[in-house]
Amino acid sequence: MEIKYRGAEAIVETGQWLGRKVIFKTRNKRGYRHPILEKRLVKERLRSESRIIERLISHGVNVPAIYGVDISNNCIIMEFIDGITLEKALRGNDFEQYLAQTAKLLSLLHSLTVVHGDPTTSNFMVTDSVYVIDFGLSTVSDDNEARASDLRVFLESLDSHHSEISGRDIFLSYYSEWSSSALVLEALKVLELRGRYNLMRG
Amino acid sequence: MRKTLSKIAIGIESTAHTAGVGLITSEGKILSNQRALYVPKEGGIHPREAANHHSEKLPDLFKSALEEAKLTPTDISLVSYARGPGLGPCLRTGATAARAFAYYHDIPLLGVNHCVAHLEIGILEGATDPVLLYLSGANTQVIAYAAGRYRVFGETIDIGIGNGLDKFAREVGMGFPGGPKLEKIAEGDVLLDLPYSVKGMDLAFSGLMTAAKQKLDSGHSLASVAYSIQETAFAMSCEVSERALAHTGKKELVLGGGVACNSRLREMADIMTKERGVKCFVPERALCVDNGVMIAWLGLQMMGADYNITEKDNEVDQKYRTDMVEVTWR
Repeated sequence: MEIKYRGAEAIVETGQWLGRKVIFKTRNKRGYRHPILEKRLVKERLRSESRIIERLISHGVNVPAIYGVDISNNCIIMEFIDGITLEKALRGNDFEQYLAQTAKLLSLLHSLTVVHGDPTTSNFMVTDSVYVIDFGLSTVSDDNEARASDLRVFLESLDSHHSEISGRDIFLSYYSEWSSSALVLEALKVLELRGRYNLMRG
Repeated sequence: MRKTLSKIAIGIESTAHTAGVGLITSEGKILSNQRALYVPKEGGIHPREAANHHSEKLPDLFKSALEEAKLTPTDISLVSYARGPGLGPCLRTGATAARAFAYYHDIPLLGVNHCVAHLEIGILEGATDPVLLYLSGANTQVIAYAAGRYRVFGETIDIGIGNGLDKFAREVGMGFPGGPKLEKIAEGDVLLDLPYSVKGMDLAFSGLMTAAKQKLDSGHSLASVAYSIQETAFAMSCEVSERALAHTGKKELVLGGGVACNSRLREMADIMTKERGVKCFVPERALCVDNGVMIAWLGLQMMGADYNITEKDNEVDQKYRTDMVEVTWR
């Protein structure tokens, strides 16, 4: 097995499983957290991640398929998406197209009452189309504020990493194609006004 | 690095509770760090009263700083003050003191960003390109340098962590500052179930504090509630900073802000960075809290890069965001 990524809560490794190239996502221990809290979070996140991915697959959304869950090792075995991260893809010339696909994908998630929780540009993979990965912080919710918080996380990661392109307008215009998006965008405004010391002064 | 003669800057801090005057050389030698803390008689900070406190204390702080460093105003080549973010009346008081000192002694004057100063003090500690976990009363941010600016990768979406701790402490009848008082009584090994609110790299604390109050009202001891608040809130803070480290690929973490004085937080950050294989820089406590030294140090960094002072730099700005500062000195 080869370590691909050491995230903030899990180690992502690639390897072979029944003749396929797969991802092993293992939630490893965080020594700084109280053992009770650690146990609670790992269990919650493992369970919710696999359930949410299952739900999205049944609706045909571009997410990695789940092959198995190894509860004793806090490990999910899933499909290997052979592509580059959106973060890298946005540095190329086709960034508008990728932003559009990502916006549509996120609005599809929201319409299926899934809030991703951490939709930064590193959590989308680009192959022939855009895939969304890492549902470790995802919840099932139709709360517009939670959806708006998703948008904020994405826009912030866009802002802080891709300051050279003005992706915000492109992204939001494609997101607003979803019929229920108006309330979310309204909630986003409120959320951003609430942000501390922001520039949208009253 | 260009070769320059050693310079000395005086820094004036007055964004919130603390009035501070610090002196530092361009080599990073701290000559004096004078501070006075406004403690409200009851309730939270009252901006006007805090400003009155600062205007009373600042002249003496200037005097004792110069005395401690054995310097006269003619030895100083830059007056640097915190332009923001902070409370209007407090900022204006510090700015007025800085202007008066600068104009009277004919020394260049420069207003700097308070949050960036917290980060730069970590660079004085030896970090080169860190992620800053900045935990104070009003500010809770994860900051790192990218493309010409210090960017805020994550921050609180409701209240600052210190505000939350202070408010909880106040509600249970402890005075200000609440964080250190809670740390002293926090005890136990049984963790109460409190909301753990991490959204991407953003955090929320108000729900946690409300739930903590409910735990207390339902009969849990103050010691174990305080313990559980610390365990939960600091784990959240460490998780978002680890997320920022993973996202940016940076190899250093710096702690800053008043809450970074907490020993349990320092311990958690130490464990997290060790497990991750990155370096952890923890400035001494007097440099983690609001202080004049960091303001002076940031001013020197900016002037060292031939920063062009404009009129704007002489105005206070209550909402002076971290990412509004163009970083020309690195």
